[in-house]
Parts: sequence; C-alpha cells; structure tokens
Amino acid sequence: MDKILLNIALVGYFVSTTGYLGSLLIRRIFLAKISTWLLAFAFFFHTATLFTQYILTGQSPVTNIYGSVSFFAWVIAGAYLIFQIRTKTRTLGAIVCPLTFLLVLAASQLLHGGGLLPHNLQGPLVTIHVMLSVTGEALFVLVALAGMLYLIQDYQIKKRRFGALTRLLPPLKDLDRINHYGLLLGFPILTFGLLAGSTWAGEVWGSHWHWDPKLIWALLFWLCFAFVLHQRLAIGWSGHKAALLSLVFLIVLLVSLTVVTLSFPTIHTFR
Amino acid sequence: MNIILLGLNHKTAPLEIREKLSGAASDETHPLREIMQIAGVREAFYLSTCNRTEVFFHVDEKPEETLGLLKAYLRKRGNFGAEDIDRYFYLHFDENALSHLFRVTSSLDSMVMGEPQILGQVKESYREAVDNDATGILLNKILHHAFRVAKRVRTETGIASHAVSVSYAAVELAKKIFGNLAGKTVILVGAGEMSELAARHLMQHGASRILIANRTFERSVQMADFFRGEAIRFEDLEKRLQEADIVITSTGAPNYVISQEMVASALHRRKNRLLFLIDIAVPRDIDPAAGQLDNVYLYNIDDLQDIVDENRNIRQLEAEKAEAIVADEVKRYWEWYNTLEVVPTIVSLKEKTEAIVRGELEKSSPWIQNLPEEERVHIEGLLSSVVNKILHDPIVGLKDKTIHRSAKPYIAAIKHLFKLEDEPSKKRSE
Repeated sequence: MDKILLNIALVGYFVSTTGYLGSLLIRRIFLAKISTWLLAFAFFFHTATLFTQYILTGQSPVTNIYGSVSFFAWVIAGAYLIFQIRTKTRTLGAIVCPLTFLLVLAASQLLHGGGLLPHNLQGPLVTIHVMLSVTGEALFVLVALAGMLYLIQDYQIKKRRFGALTRLLPPLKDLDRINHYGLLLGFPILTFGLLAGSTWAGEVWGSHWHWDPKLIWALLFWLCFAFVLHQRLAIGWSGHKAALLSLVFLIVLLVSLTVVTLSFPTIHTFR
Repeated sequence: MNIILLGLNHKTAPLEIREKLSGAASDETHPLREIMQIAGVREAFYLSTCNRTEVFFHVDEKPEETLGLLKAYLRKRGNFGAEDIDRYFYLHFDENALSHLFRVTSSLDSMVMGEPQILGQVKESYREAVDNDATGILLNKILHHAFRVAKRVRTETGIASHAVSVSYAAVELAKKIFGNLAGKTVILVGAGEMSELAARHLMQHGASRILIANRTFERSVQMADFFRGEAIRFEDLEKRLQEADIVITSTGAPNYVISQEMVASALHRRKNRLLFLIDIAVPRDIDPAAGQLDNVYLYNIDDLQDIVDENRNIRQLEAEKAEAIVADEVKRYWEWYNTLEVVPTIVSLKEKTEAIVRGELEKSSPWIQNLPEEERVHIEGLLSSVVNKILHDPIVGLKDKTIHRSAKPYIAAIKHLFKLEDEPSKKRSE
C-alpha cells in the first residue's frame, strides 16, 4: 500500500521535474505553473505515504536513515510549496523539485534494505530529535538554494543583463524573503531537535556531550546557522551577503551529513 | 469587391496631412453621419487617432463610384489638394482590407508595435459607429472578429510583454528587484519628462509613496501636488535618502548630486534593504561607484536604453508570429464569408422549416390519427402553405438582392437568426 503511494508520488515528482526543466529550456513560465500543481500532487501522495507507513508499522517514518531521507525531501518540497503561495519564486522549483525527486528515489530504492535502529536508539525522544533536526536542516537547504538563485539574479541585474534568464528567475526580494523566514523558522526547530538529541544522549550514553566527529560537525553547523540568523536580524545583513553566507554554510551541512557520517568512526550511527 | 478600406497612417502621410483629418474629428457632426449619406455605402466604420485615419466600409454595388464619392468627401473634409488623396492614402479590398484592419487592431501597424492603446481606440470608434447606426451584420461580425484576433495575438505572442520605453523598462526592473511594488517609496530628484513618467508608471504599478526634491522648493511643492506626494528640501535629500526604495534622478546639475558615501550611509540606516537607483540625467547625477555597493542596483539612461533596444528586437521576432495569426484569422473569416451563398441558405432554410412542420405533426399524432384521412391531408396542406407564404417574401427578396450582389449581409442575418450554422469563431477549437 505505502509502496504504491510512494510510486505515485515518485512519478509525480518526476513529471514535475521534467516540467520545471522544460520550462527553463523553452523559457516559458506557464509550464512551471503546471509543474507546481504536479509538485503539489506528488507532495500529497508523499504525505499519504508517510502516514500509511506510520499506520502500518506503528513506527515513525524516521526510524531508519532512508525514511529520514524521504522525510527530509518531504519537508523541502512542502516548505517550498508554502513559500510559493506567498512569493513569485516559480523557478526555485526547478532546483527543489529535481532534488526532491532524487532524494525520494534513493530512499525508495533502499527503503526496505535499511534495518531499523538499534533498540537503544528507539523511543519518542529519538523520533522528535530526528524529525526536528531534519526539518531544520531541510529548511536551511531551501534557504541556501534560494540563496543560490539570488546570487545568479543579483549578478544578472548588477551586470545589467536583462535577458530571458533574468525574466525567468524570481524577483530578488522574494528570494530574500525565503532566506528570512526559512532562517527564522528553521533555527528554533533545529535547536529543539539538537536539545532533544542531547537529552536522549544523557539518558542512553550517560553524558549530554561527546567529543565525537559527528556531534562536533552538528554543533558547528548549528553555530553557522546561528551566525547567519544573528547577522541578518541584528546587523541587517540581507540580500547579497545573507544569500552568500547561506550558500557557504550549506557546505558545512553537506560535509556533516555525508563525509563525516560515512568516513569517521562515530557513536552517532544508525547501525 | 464589397469590403473596402481607405486610410492613411504615420508611414504614408506626414503629420501635416494626418492632423487635417484627426483634428476635425472633434466637431459636432461625426464623419460617419456624412459617410453614411454617400450613395452605395451600406455599413461603415471610421477610425481616427493621431497616427491614422481609416474608413472601413461595405458597399452595395458599383464600388468605384462610391469610392470616388468617398474620396471627394475626404478631400473636402481635410481640405486636401487634388492629388493628396491618391498620394497619401492606401486602398485595400476584401481580404486585404480585413487583414489591414486586423493588423491595426492587433497593434502590428502601430508606431510602437504592441502598444495597447490602439485596441481601446478601435473599440471606442466601433461604439461610435454603433451609436451612429453605421454598422450592420457584416461589420459587427468583422469588428468582433478583429477584437478576438487582437486578444489572440496578445496572449499567444510576446509582442506586448517587453517594455519598449525607458520608463517601462524601469518598472520591469523594479519588479525584478522588489517583486511587488506595493508599499515602496520613490524619491524623485529633479524634474524632467522621462523621470516623471517613470515615477508615474511606478506609482501605477503599486508604489505607494513619492517624495520630491528639487533645487527650488516651490517647484517641488508644485510637483508634489501633481503626484499627491511630499515635497522635500534639496538639502534634506541626504537625510531622507534612507526612506527610498527607488530613487529617480534627472537634475541639470554638472556634478554628482548623490555620492557613493550618501548611498552607503542611507543603506546602512535602512538595514541594507534593497535600493534601486535610476539615473536619467545627462551628465549623470549619481556616482557610478554607488552601483558597486551590495544590494544597490544602479541604472543610467544608457543601461535602460539598451534594455529597450533589445526588447524592440524581441518584439520584432514576436511580430512574425503575430502576422501568421492574422493571416490565419483572415483566411478563416474569408472562408466563412464565402459560404454566404444564396441558394444553399434558401435550401437549408426550407429544410429547417419542413423539419419543424414534420416534428410538430408527429408530436400531435395521437389526435391526428383519430381524424379521417381526408382531414389529415387538409391539415398538413394548410401547415405547409402557411410556412411557404411566410418564407415567400424573404426568399424572393434574397434572390433579388443576389442580382445586385448585396445579399451577403442578409444571408448572414438569416443564418444567424435561424441558427442555420455555426459561426466561424465558434468553430475554432478553444
């Protein structure tokens, strides 16, 4: 049942992805508008998948790494769709949608390959920790992607290249607004996520903090996140600087999620 | 050769000639009233703008004679010399006349291609024609078809979607920076036609507040009255710059009026919110170095002109698509027009009435069955003779009109009223 729903969602994400890319190719916005509806359609089925999984197994969808990846993609797509209602940022979908598709595809291929978490890593607090952290990180990814488009559009307008690309890309202000609200919303969520993890660690490992590579990178990313938000709110770094900084710190997040998890011995493991 | 268009435009006639006719349009008798008096004119449409005067009309018979009379009328009205009419006016017949009208309505024949005003002007002229009882079934149909063609061109091509004036280019840019102009503040520094136009367009697109700074405060106050804005003293510009989202400058000052430091400090005070500077002045008013600051976008007159030039090229390309649409629509209309033949119309009219008679007889069959055979035949005969009597005069009239080659509007009317077929516009799959 959940497999069928997931496949429908996957097809939806795929068709929407081709639509978005096609709209960039032929430089017509109407195709992107259709793609947004397709994305919403796929997102709906993705949501249904997550619920069905929960009902069928009685476990949260984030009990293994693949479920978490799927959830990560779900947050990005959902947050983008919400932003799309309030801003004119259709072309952002052309990045968000393929990314979502690839993540869900990867997760779906391996969904049944990955085992459950070890017994000592199960429990409501772990679920809360994973869900909140993943949501916070996903929001940051969206902020960084918007930042990427911002930098391109900023460059185009600064260099006075007012061509088809500029017309197609979203207005600067709308991209900056995603930066603002994404950071504002994502930071407390991530913070609570990390606190939940730390609380759980205190119970299981006997200490809230370990000098573990994974944990150090996670803390580093949290500090980066806090830094961008602080610069934005207190110093007034908006627009170009905020976009650039978000994009740079995305690297920290990606390193933390991939390199550190895969190559360093860490106690923060899913196995 | 029943549909004729006689006209002049900005390409064929200089202003001195064009103004002779366009200026006269405001007097008390509408030219259509006089044109409709000309022998042979059945329906007419008169369009007069500052760039063109066109008479589009439908004649009964002897088009040459009618045309001669119309030319004489125009010569008198515009006080033209003997050869002026043949020299400056163009003349189109039938499909070509249609094509020209469609192109004009779609703004393909305008001085600034794709400008939206012409459609409104054609609609207004059409309303005047209707008010003066100058249009009939053919012209009504043609004009409505022309409006649809214009709409199709507008939606299916990008002919109108790229700014081709400096002030609109500024609005397009502002929208790419701010997305939505609602709540934005404009500061207008100095006076000038182009800068005021840009300010007005920005206000029309949602900018909510305008501050005006001039060397002389009185002038600022005057302009502020006009724009319903706020006049500020020139010395206060530096202080108030932080309030602006968009700054338009066009002073006659020999040096920079706004320095990089001024912009940097204003930007700092407004917490780095985006700032769009438009420098229309020559020599420039804003230090170009200001454009290097983060979150500041500085465009001067040449930058805007470059955008306009490129947009012109794009419109030119889109115009080719538009021409294809016009050609397609003319063909479609003309095919329909040529189906307006007398004989098939009479045949389908008779078929329809016979079908009605048969249908009604069948509906009342229960009681008719009870009548004796003889009475039933009588009733049927009576019915068909009533119908034939009713149709007799219109059919004879139609055949009579055929001889004079003026049956088409009547056929169109009959087809329309009796719903004998679909109209060309409805055939099109939407």
